[in-house]
Amino acid sequence: MSDLTQPRDATDRLRGIQSVTDAALAHLDVETLLLELLDRLKEILEVDTAAVLLLDRPSNSLVATAARGIEEEVVQGVRIPVGRGFAGRIAAEKRAVILDHVDHTTVMNPILRARGINSMLGVPLLSAGEVLGVLHVGTLRPREFTRADVELLQLVADRVALATQARLSETERSAALALQRSLLPGRLPLISGVEFGARYVPGAAEGVGGDWYDVFAMPSGALCVVMGDVVGRGLRAAVVMGRLRSTLRAYAMTTDDPAGILDLVDRKLQHFEPDEMATALLAVLDVNHDLMRISSAGHPPPVLARADGTVSMLDLPVDPPLGVRHGRARRTTDIELPPGSVLCLYTDGLVERRTIPLDDRLEQLESAVMVDNPENVCASVMRSLVGADAPADDIALLVLRIPDDGPGVPLDLTFTAVPASLAQIRAALRRWLRRVGAGDSAVHDVLVAVGEATSNAVEHAYGPAGGTIAVRVELDGADVLVEIADNGQWREPRGHGRGRGTLIMQMTTDEFRVERGASGTTVFVRRRLDR
Amino acid sequence: MSSIGVTITGGSDGGAVLIAVAGEIDLSNSEHVEQQIASFISNRTMHAVVDLTQVTYIDSIGMRVLFGLATSLQTAQIGLKLIAPIGSPARRLIEISGLDVIVDVEPG
Repeated sequence: MSDLTQPRDATDRLRGIQSVTDAALAHLDVETLLLELLDRLKEILEVDTAAVLLLDRPSNSLVATAARGIEEEVVQGVRIPVGRGFAGRIAAEKRAVILDHVDHTTVMNPILRARGINSMLGVPLLSAGEVLGVLHVGTLRPREFTRADVELLQLVADRVALATQARLSETERSAALALQRSLLPGRLPLISGVEFGARYVPGAAEGVGGDWYDVFAMPSGALCVVMGDVVGRGLRAAVVMGRLRSTLRAYAMTTDDPAGILDLVDRKLQHFEPDEMATALLAVLDVNHDLMRISSAGHPPPVLARADGTVSMLDLPVDPPLGVRHGRARRTTDIELPPGSVLCLYTDGLVERRTIPLDDRLEQLESAVMVDNPENVCASVMRSLVGADAPADDIALLVLRIPDDGPGVPLDLTFTAVPASLAQIRAALRRWLRRVGAGDSAVHDVLVAVGEATSNAVEHAYGPAGGTIAVRVELDGADVLVEIADNGQWREPRGHGRGRGTLIMQMTTDEFRVERGASGTTVFVRRRLDR
Repeated sequence: MSSIGVTITGGSDGGAVLIAVAGEIDLSNSEHVEQQIASFISNRTMHAVVDLTQVTYIDSIGMRVLFGLATSLQTAQIGLKLIAPIGSPARRLIEISGLDVIVDVEPG
């Protein structure tokens, strides 16, 4: 647009607006900025109302965001579908519209009609040819808006669009990052002695994406490990990621089969969000049997380093990504995960570089993974594959190590005192007892004795605030000694039949003793392992 | 359903009901186990058989469910038999807690 077509006074008026947009308002959030601009605009164009409606893409409708003159439309959350009414027409046709007569055939918004607005002028807010929203003004008195008015309003709209776009992008980036951070497990769980390390780095070029990882205990006591990547960028990908993560956790309550869980997540995604797609790896670790069950939905394969030093990319059958219609059943593969193994899961942002062949990057990854504690492995992988170059795409990395402390090394575990911890305690105990060569009946008896003590602590040690239970297991000659400690207040079991637990503990152990102190209760259990 | 570490299935044959429990029973799921077992038994049931062969863990919390079941079925005059193989986790607990004194227990 050329200034030559502008009347002199309009150029002067525009200068006023320009100074306000560019400098003084630079620090304001979108809403405050818009209100300031609308105030100026009302004054300069001598109109009674001015309003900005921003496009809400999911619903394809315009939402009143800022208004001066008739503020009700913002407070009442007025929504105008694109293509309908005055504002909807401006957005659909991407051009200025002048109304010299307001009634129900031309204006959808009843607030404007009720307040007696007579003439209206509106222009689209455009950013790179895309409609961002609509800016419109209105007068109570009949007024013929001139070509000069239209051009001035459009100039203001272009500035509003620019400022809004920049600030919305910034807001969206911050929101996406906040969402990402809230969903990545900050503290990884202490389960069966498995150690974890993780990294998440947002992409430099495109910001936060939909990468996620998750680690949690399943109802069976098995450990569920997830690495996933929602296709797309920004807040939208982060939101879809959040939904997928919750969905996956929910379905992990219903089955232990990785392919079964992914299949349900896939169906949910296809049904409710048919436009979205994600890749994911889901592994269920059964540490009692040194086994991992894993299923891949179009995700890059994990790297496994075994205690003997061999490192390999797992050769898994890969099923289609989540959200892609396909008629085949997903597959679960069993992978042996011997003590001391290190498993490394990642998203494609770690290995994909436009200038380097993927195979070279995968080889580089293999050589960066070693048998070491997960924090060191994460550091090694990030150093080797990322170095000082900020990645374009976001990167998620999760490394875990199966403990290899040798049979009989004392086991120290701390659990939240909730019923769901009991299966995890049993899983850890079973593994430890098997490794010291305990027979079936010894394993069963120790599990039951410890189960009685830990259930009791869960039920009675703490009030609603909760607490923790510490379990220590050690070998003493041919015996196993287990200490179960809580730091709560002892309370006699309530309810009928609760005394049975004590009898069962006596019968399943060779020695059993309870110490109650001011700082908590400790139960000591001794059981021979060879009978 | 297997959502909570235990699966309970059941079916009836005339007046007899056979209920099979598989998995682990503890504080986290004992109420579920209790409700599921009860859901297979009606007032027309003559005999109920609860097969505990596939139970891999049970403690006093689970025994409370079984004692409760034994008592309520006795009141309702419905016969109860438990199946628990010699040496199985369930058998060991049934014997320790004396449930076999009031209920028929068979090895399978």
